[in-house]
Amino acid sequence: MNVAVCVKHAVDEGELRFDPAGRPLIEGAAGKMGAFDKNAVEAALRVRSEVGGEVVGVTVGGADARKSLKEALAMGADRGVHVLDEPHLLNPSRTSALLAASLREAGQFDLVLCAEGSSDTYSGLVPPMVAERLGYAYVGYARKLGVTASEVRAERSLEESIESVASPLPAVISVVSEANEPRYPTLIQIMQASKKPVAEVRAQDLLSAGGTHSVTIGSMFAHSTDRKRIFLEGTTDEAAAKLVDALRKEGVISV
Amino acid sequence: MTGDVWSFSENAAVASEVALAAEGLAPAVQGGPVVVEVGRARDGVRGGGERLVLQGCPQDGPAEALAECISRAAKSLGPAIILVGATREGREVAARLAVKLDVGCLPEASRISSDGKTVSAERSVYAGRVSATLTSPLPCVVTVRPGSFAKSTGATGTVRNYDAGTPEVRVRRLGSSRRETGSVDLKSAKVIVSAGRGVKRKEDLPMLEGLASEMKGALGCSRPLSSDLGWLSEEHHIGLTGVVVKPDLYLAVGISGQLQHIAGMKDSKVVAAVNTDRDAPIFQASDYGIVGDLYQVVPALRKALSARH
Ligand SMILES: Cc1cc2nc3c(=O)[nH]c(=O)nc-3n(C[C@H](O)[C@H](O)[C@H](O)COP(=O)(O)OP(=O)(O)OC[C@H]3O[C@@H](n4cnc5c(N)ncnc54)[C@H](O)[C@@H]3O)c2cc1C
Repeated sequence: MNVAVCVKHAVDEGELRFDPAGRPLIEGAAGKMGAFDKNAVEAALRVRSEVGGEVVGVTVGGADARKSLKEALAMGADRGVHVLDEPHLLNPSRTSALLAASLREAGQFDLVLCAEGSSDTYSGLVPPMVAERLGYAYVGYARKLGVTASEVRAERSLEESIESVASPLPAVISVVSEANEPRYPTLIQIMQASKKPVAEVRAQDLLSAGGTHSVTIGSMFAHSTDRKRIFLEGTTDEAAAKLVDALRKEGVISV
Repeated sequence: MTGDVWSFSENAAVASEVALAAEGLAPAVQGGPVVVEVGRARDGVRGGGERLVLQGCPQDGPAEALAECISRAAKSLGPAIILVGATREGREVAARLAVKLDVGCLPEASRISSDGKTVSAERSVYAGRVSATLTSPLPCVVTVRPGSFAKSTGATGTVRNYDAGTPEVRVRRLGSSRRETGSVDLKSAKVIVSAGRGVKRKEDLPMLEGLASEMKGALGCSRPLSSDLGWLSEEHHIGLTGVVVKPDLYLAVGISGQLQHIAGMKDSKVVAAVNTDRDAPIFQASDYGIVGDLYQVVPALRKALSARH
């Protein structure tokens, strides 16, 4: 079975810095593999160990994105495809078009695995867009997967229900974080990852025929959390009484 | 460009919110708000303006079929903007729709405006640390973050039936089980007591539920309690990947306060926290903090609350 797994080199939200006006410094911001992408890689590796085949990691991003691709290779993916693009942040149309085009070039896939969403933007649009572009079936938010040669069965985690479905192949599947516990690569695997083949493709070569719809970023600013940050001290009973008192004074509890 | 603003969600409560967003946006594109329904007009959905009922499509989805039917109608009727509730099913509908119609897509909007040529949407990114305004030319699909708009109270205008045919679907539903749902509506709760990993066992949750009900509030939780441990249903899960709440009081109990959790409650009026770790990030995002063991502090709070009676 040929399995592709999409990974994103996401902005590391914890490391984000701001200029004095409160604008985030996106250029040069530290990145990391999307937290849920690791669940997608793990799911791909488990499919391979059950039914055999190859796992190809695919990423769209700047030169930095190679780090996340390497991480997927260290976890166990066999080879990688890096679509070199300006980090065109926040445009799922473009990312999905590049992923679909590069997957068409990279081989015939039975399964394309993605995370439910990236850890920096969490829009959840790229996986179904890739499915629509490739004409594949789509199963979103899978928490359990069972793959045979001709079909995939999955349990989908929806807001109000758990749904079990059967889908023909080829299919794009997005997985939720509770689907599995991602493995940690060993030091040897990390070293070996550098020797695995990575094909580099330029975005403009993939999308030469017609671009995608533009999304422009108007403004970005930090959310300010202006809080009082008062610690209520004393014995447990004293602190509790002080808190109840303060909340009554604020008028936010009516008891 | 002129045209109508369509709104759609397979979830009736979210559909009424998205309808309100469409009502606000319609004048800017010199069109009317249109509530899109599949199969039949649902009683539970409120929204002013026209109701477009797509015939033929299976009423309960799947998203693959919903997107195909809506796109067929959109190709012949030409709306300027299509708003879709950003639920798990809704995101698939919106994504497929944008590709089928070959238009742009703005995700997770909490505010939307238009100048008649483009549409701008405000959303939060980087685990809620940043608010971004994104703009795309019309026509455009926008996914709307549930909980961002109030529910429309508009009365249904004319009903228009459109035969969208019955599209082929590839993914077969084998079964569905409803998650155990309490009677919680966190979005309208004035007080929320929220439980995190500091709670050791599921059996300890009634203690927090008791505190919540004594404060006339509801119980919420961090992601691990619902998604990983399954102690509470998903509708309790607050944060980036769960619900966004803005109560008068948010009391975080045994929650460390990671960015993804803060993203779901940072607009609360007053935030208080109980945690054993004085350095827990939740205290930075709180007005009032008690450093202590929740197993002692929660009973003490319940005692202090009843002291007046
Ligand atoms: C992409 C992404 C999206 C996410 N979305 C969400 C989301 O929507 N919502 C969400 O909540 N999380 C989300 N998370 C997970 C988030 O990063 C944290 O892992 C999670 O919020 C931690 O939950 P917690 O605070 O309950 O647990 P922990 O981080 O384990 O914190 C437990 C806290 O309890 C305290 N404690 C322990 N014992 C006691 C005691 N006896 N009394 C008092 N305090 C005690 C500890 O000091 C600690 O601070 C997301 C993560 C990612 C990567």
